[in-house]
Amino acid sequence: MPSASELPAAPRHRLGGLFRAVAILAVAAAVLSFPSWAPNPYILSAGVVVLNYAVLSTSWNFVGGFTGYISLGHGALAGLGGYATGLLVVRAGLPSFVALAAATLLVAAFAVPVGYAALRVRGASFVIVSIALVLILLLVFQSWASFTGGSRGLVVPRPFPGLLRPEHHRVFFYLFAALLAVALLVWWLVDRSRFGLGLKAIREDEDKAESLGTPTFGYKLVVFVVSAGFTGLAGGLYALWFGDLDPVFQFSILTGSYLVLMALLGGVRQLFGPLVGALVVGIGLEYFKVEFGNTPLHLAATGLLLALVVMFMPDGVLPALGALVDRFLRPAQSSIREVTAAELRDRGSGPPEGDRPADPPASVPVGAPDGRSAEERS
Amino acid sequence: MTGQPSGPPGPATSGTGSPATTGAGSPATTGPTSPVAGGTGSPPTSGTGSLATSGLTKAFGGVTALDAATVEFRHGQVNALIGPNGSGKTTFFNCVTGMIRPDSGRTSYRGADITRRSPHAIARAGIGRTFQLCRVFPRMSALDNVLAAARPDGFWSQLRGARRRVELDRARGWLTRLGIEHLADVEARNMSWGQQKLLELAGVLMSGPETVLLDEPAGGVNPALLDRIGALVRELNAEGRTFVIVEHNMDLVMSISDHVVVFDRGRPIAEGPPAVIRSDERVLGAYLGV
Repeated sequence: MPSASELPAAPRHRLGGLFRAVAILAVAAAVLSFPSWAPNPYILSAGVVVLNYAVLSTSWNFVGGFTGYISLGHGALAGLGGYATGLLVVRAGLPSFVALAAATLLVAAFAVPVGYAALRVRGASFVIVSIALVLILLLVFQSWASFTGGSRGLVVPRPFPGLLRPEHHRVFFYLFAALLAVALLVWWLVDRSRFGLGLKAIREDEDKAESLGTPTFGYKLVVFVVSAGFTGLAGGLYALWFGDLDPVFQFSILTGSYLVLMALLGGVRQLFGPLVGALVVGIGLEYFKVEFGNTPLHLAATGLLLALVVMFMPDGVLPALGALVDRFLRPAQSSIREVTAAELRDRGSGPPEGDRPADPPASVPVGAPDGRSAEERS
Repeated sequence: MTGQPSGPPGPATSGTGSPATTGAGSPATTGPTSPVAGGTGSPPTSGTGSLATSGLTKAFGGVTALDAATVEFRHGQVNALIGPNGSGKTTFFNCVTGMIRPDSGRTSYRGADITRRSPHAIARAGIGRTFQLCRVFPRMSALDNVLAAARPDGFWSQLRGARRRVELDRARGWLTRLGIEHLADVEARNMSWGQQKLLELAGVLMSGPETVLLDEPAGGVNPALLDRIGALVRELNAEGRTFVIVEHNMDLVMSISDHVVVFDRGRPIAEGPPAVIRSDERVLGAYLGV
């Protein structure tokens, strides 16, 4: 939920909710109609890439957003999903979408031992373990050329051979949009569940959560596997769309870093944070690539973007926007409330203030034999 | 306090997937007022099946924090654990609650060996604790802090909404009882130290422990709040909860505890009722360094 109100008695403005709903509908409409107004197939294919990023960073956010574990290895999980799908089609002769489903399950199963090992360490150590995953998979898929095709790459046959290129992009655009919708729905369901609250408790203070009876390791492992499953699915779909896999790109630390950047930029505590981040960074990346070719300049431009966001919107774009809307709609309120002496006198034993310094108000008896009021008891 | 959710509207309260009337269990008996909320069974008879350790030893490098500590706390009573700084009190708590593994020795609770259990399993066995440097979830509201301590049972029930009516009522009940219900929607990091200590206690109580370990509840707390905490402990004890309290404030210890255990250099050196402990020479020696 964006912008949890700082003030205890201030319910979120109804107009804020309306603004949110309108914004969501506008983005959804813009995304869904994109194939119709995309000027050419190249732009449409860039749209597929951006949606792929949106799915991947939303999947990443199951781990990063809820538990606060920053994984740079999710690019490798996507790559594994891609290769698993491709190899199941090429080597096992499975139909494309059967291969995709099987690859998703494979990646989820692979995530169990990986998570079991990696989630034992926290903070920087976890980040390093996740990087190690990328490097190990890169080496395996490059070296085992007889099976994976090695550096020559792996050509994945298209699932719809009859389709022309623009039509192919359009179909996959909608497939990615559907996958994004499912990922967002599941994230939302977790967010409002007891499971999600437990995960957020882990993010805040893992030992404390454990001491309250939350099986923290099990929680982390489950959400890591869910995250890996979505990531693998997106990677597999990418393989079916793009049709050509290369270990250097599939198992790249850069991919994982982009996902982290997107989620942080949009806001990791927000349902739509990674999506917004993917739209900004993804479109930026594609644009810079066109402008600056394949020079490192597009990386520099992306880095500059990140620096600006971190400096001016450390919680991400969405919370910053939410705060702006709140300020616009409720100009009279600030976190420091000014009250006159007369108002204070009037209030007397009225509702206590949230910013009262130390004690609970005297009107509420801590020592009451019963936590409830008299009416409730009767 | 009507129990009606009055917080800001959000996705968490608007769900349709979990009707609040089903699967409610027995809300009347799991609320903040019940003797043993969410415990493992009926309240045990006093004096049996208590929290006990035998030969508990833990060394950090060359320093022996716990030296074959054998202690038994009395069930249904307010126990105090006192001793000079560095005498192993907090290490003792950490070993008992599974946060650190002892080098040797055993911990048993209500007849079961809990030495090697993980912290969450020990919490679920009925032992709750607070921390010396008060720990809350800083970027969560007070209400969510307490809700996060609700212990849903079973795998699938975890997927239900976190803000179901039954749990909301219980959580708000605890906030009310501790006098901080007006802060329900305030993020914990914006609360004062005293408020955070009350919030931490509310969370621990929400998790429904039969036995509560308090690590310096009086630390950094003003005298008025101190009296409230003392009164609250006595009340919760009267409702059937056992307490073990590490504390340096002797006024508080002597006024609320039934049984006092004194630690020095990682092991108990004396125990007994407060009046006896107050005049025990070994205790005076340990504290004054005589």
